[in-house]
Amino acid sequence: MLEIIRDKARAGERLSFEDGLALFMHPDVVAVGQLANEVRERLHGDRTYFNRNMRIEVTNVCVASCLFCSFAKLEEGAPGAHTMKLEQAWAELQAHMDDPPSEIHIVNGLHPGLPFSYYEQLLAGFKRIKPDIHMKCFTAVEIHFFATHYGMTYREVLERLRRAGLDSLPGGGAEIFHPDVRTRIAHDKATGDEYLDVHRVAHSLGIRTNATMLYGHIETFEHRVDHLLRLRALQDETEGLQAFIPLAFHPDGNGMRNLPAPTAVDALRTVAVSRLLLDNVPHVKAYWVSMTPEVAQIALRFGADDVDGTIVHETIYKAAGSRSPRELTVAQLVRLIQEAGRIPIERDTLYRAVREHPRAALPEGAVKVRDRKASKHLEVIS
Amino acid sequence: MSALVDRAVEAAGLASVLAARRAGRLDSGEHLARLRAADLLALGALADCIRADEVGDEVRIYTRPDEGDGQVPVLPPAGRDVTGLELLREVAIARIAGPRGARVRVDWTRCGLELAQVALGFGADELAGVLANKRGLPLADGEVLGVGKKSRLEAAPVVKRRELADFVRRAGRTPRFVEEAS
Repeated sequence: MLEIIRDKARAGERLSFEDGLALFMHPDVVAVGQLANEVRERLHGDRTYFNRNMRIEVTNVCVASCLFCSFAKLEEGAPGAHTMKLEQAWAELQAHMDDPPSEIHIVNGLHPGLPFSYYEQLLAGFKRIKPDIHMKCFTAVEIHFFATHYGMTYREVLERLRRAGLDSLPGGGAEIFHPDVRTRIAHDKATGDEYLDVHRVAHSLGIRTNATMLYGHIETFEHRVDHLLRLRALQDETEGLQAFIPLAFHPDGNGMRNLPAPTAVDALRTVAVSRLLLDNVPHVKAYWVSMTPEVAQIALRFGADDVDGTIVHETIYKAAGSRSPRELTVAQLVRLIQEAGRIPIERDTLYRAVREHPRAALPEGAVKVRDRKASKHLEVIS
Repeated sequence: MSALVDRAVEAAGLASVLAARRAGRLDSGEHLARLRAADLLALGALADCIRADEVGDEVRIYTRPDEGDGQVPVLPPAGRDVTGLELLREVAIARIAGPRGARVRVDWTRCGLELAQVALGFGADELAGVLANKRGLPLADGEVLGVGKKSRLEAAPVVKRRELADFVRRAGRTPRFVEEAS
């Protein structure tokens, strides 16, 4: 079966729903990884991307009650709830202007009490501090919420935010599109179709976006394949997706804490199958916050060509029990990629190369120069 | 070995290594150098095939640090700082270059359970570590938090043992806890 799929992939023939299922169910994850790696190297060679980005979550107050979320607090004033004043949010960037990020990545709860102008001022303020900063802000779920809460169309919301400084949309909020799962884990926010519609409208306006999939909870392999093929269909239509990011479910402190988290083998398999099925999406990310830097490094041999960025201050996965560090420096990311035998490319948000770093002298897994301090990010945080 | 793995092994320049291994005349210098430079996934696929042929799908699990006979090399070596990719290569090489039916053990307290699980696909057939060590079984923590409450009365080691067995099963293998007197 795997050979038939490999022949199809090599011939540029599109893989089917059944092929996707077979890949998820095949017992030999390394063989699946080999197929994905072949595709990855055909598309990108050894080039592996990262950027200097900064995560900011300005509010965790949220009207949605997603079972998998450990980040959101339902009401302002609840223990742990926070909403930044605009000046506080801007100060996050100002504090890093000696070595500034090229991208601000903002994802928030669905706060019912803030005026829309808060978000417009938020964007404009960052652009005032650093006019060339790329603002990758607000998931499709947030855009849908803005549209319904403030009485606008998706287009109107996106156009107003773009005028204020929005450059692209992150991929969060996709979870699992299939209603059998979505109605159980995220019943009171944008549906799968609405998520895809927001991206469709964004693409029509020339706004590039990413997409995600939250895997490893109650969904089946069929749901995962369905999710990936819906994204592939959207990309056929719009060509606006830049990257796909599989996100591993983390169980701590949320409504599904009785479930185990997906394992590293599942993470690698999901990266590999994503690369094989999403033949029209340029990049597949191994998001180190979600899968730990160590597993992300291995994923660079299973189909991934991007590790995301420096992040600086991530709180959503932290709240769900992720053991990944809060931040990786550029030097750590470069080393992580080099040790995988790949060529580190620092990119901007739109995948334009900013700086190409040299590859390591030895093949992956053969690097013998050990610097405990510099490679500390690869240690498991206990 | 499937034709797919056959071709991957051939493309990675490992066919002569495999032939030499089958003939029982693996050259420790030349062949090891080739293994160290080969494509990692081809190496892993080859190691996994050899593992399946020689020791089957069972994974023996040792949960006390002083278990075992002391004859089995444990990866990663104590005190050595290795990346995940290095560990996988070392495990694969231990399987390919080791004697027929060799035991290849990974200590999850040294590398984390995630990597230990991945190593099962690269030729490992034994896992070792301490159940009580939080670092060893991080993904069970959410469940362990509930231990002692009305809804969950199982002791933490029981929960972690079950989690560990599930980790092995989700790697497509069969767990067997080895109870040896310490």
